[in-house]
Amino acid sequence: MSFDVLMPESEDELLTLLMSENAKIMAGGTDILVRIRAGKIKPEKIISLSKVRGMDEIIDKGDRIYIGCKVTHSAALSSEILKEHSPIMLMALREIGSPQIRNRGTIVGNIVNASPAGDSIIPLYLSNARVVISGPKGEYKLPIEEFIKGPGKTALSIGEFVRAVEFEKSGSWYPLFYKVGQRTAMAIAIASIGLLVKDNNLRIAFGSVAPTVVRAYKAERYFERNNGNIAVMDEFIELCMEYISPIDDVRASAWYRKEVIKNLLRDTFNSLRKKVL
Amino acid sequence: MMLELTVNGRVHSVEINPGEMLLDVLRRLGYKSVRRSCDNASCGNCTVLLDGKPILSCTTFAARATGHKIETVESLEKDGILHPIQESLLETGGAQCGFCIPGFALTAKALLEENPEPTEEEIREALNGNLCRCTGYESQIRAILNITHKRGGLSND
Repeated sequence: MSFDVLMPESEDELLTLLMSENAKIMAGGTDILVRIRAGKIKPEKIISLSKVRGMDEIIDKGDRIYIGCKVTHSAALSSEILKEHSPIMLMALREIGSPQIRNRGTIVGNIVNASPAGDSIIPLYLSNARVVISGPKGEYKLPIEEFIKGPGKTALSIGEFVRAVEFEKSGSWYPLFYKVGQRTAMAIAIASIGLLVKDNNLRIAFGSVAPTVVRAYKAERYFERNNGNIAVMDEFIELCMEYISPIDDVRASAWYRKEVIKNLLRDTFNSLRKKVL
Repeated sequence: MMLELTVNGRVHSVEINPGEMLLDVLRRLGYKSVRRSCDNASCGNCTVLLDGKPILSCTTFAARATGHKIETVESLEKDGILHPIQESLLETGGAQCGFCIPGFALTAKALLEENPEPTEEEIREALNGNLCRCTGYESQIRAILNITHKRGGLSND
């Protein structure tokens, strides 16, 4: 394990360094350093964001929230803006790792890792997030569903980095997030579900059961067509399952994941009916 | 490269490789309470406090810690007197083989500084990144609850 560590102090310096070959950008390092140690990636240079000024802001932008790339999970968890306007994000962040990991890991790091199991990615899908990309051509935004291409794959080109993410407020929606893992702490999800409900509107997303986090748009429309109700649970589940293509891996089998999602859906909507529907 | 690290209030000048982890540098400096265990951010045994917050030194570059305050368990005992967390861990039998205890003590210290009267649930939540293969965790959780009780804090478990 040998590599150079570069610690730029400004965005300009960072953009210059990003043009170098076989360089990896790092925020908290909670994921990338583990992957390097496991021999999965072998970068020659690591560009650490730790000394870059700024980029750690959480901004209320009216109907959206803007989160800079250095905002840690812990910082987000104590943000009044998020508490009020994105309870679904807080529910997901609480499920991440442990206090030690949350003190270092970042939401943008979660996005760039593009893990189908990334806990904070589910609320971002539910909140129609846009990824703010900075690079040689300046700044532009991509919907998160276009940014994340597959496990570990993103739309980032050489020389670019994710400056921030912005997403819709959802304070008036009823939030729900549930994750099935092998143990309470530090566990990577076997399957997870997140949803937002408001009147006849539903947004629903799943983690760890497809190459990326997925939103079940057909199931959302079914819910709306039925005026905020689920007429036939099996039909609703069927529509959700169209988005799901789990794999067998070290954590669980594809069969188990499918069963978990079906059961989660039944349980979730049974308890939702009692609370809000 | 030369680096200045402030550990337990003491400033060290130390020569490091740019890619070296805080864990390795701290152990080289003699802070052997910082344990190397899983070495991949899973077990919490290498926990140190960075500006009062628990982090994993196995996946933190030493270079990143310059200009910040690092605390290890060596700072807890003062003139032969143990910190209340250490005393309490001894009383409840929280330290069996003892290997994971520095990480527990530091994570607990950070918790009690932020939240002097944690509930049992909050303690469990705060310690959930620290693995112990001896105790089953009950004794460590009781150790912290006992501190809360001694301070007159309410027990709501």
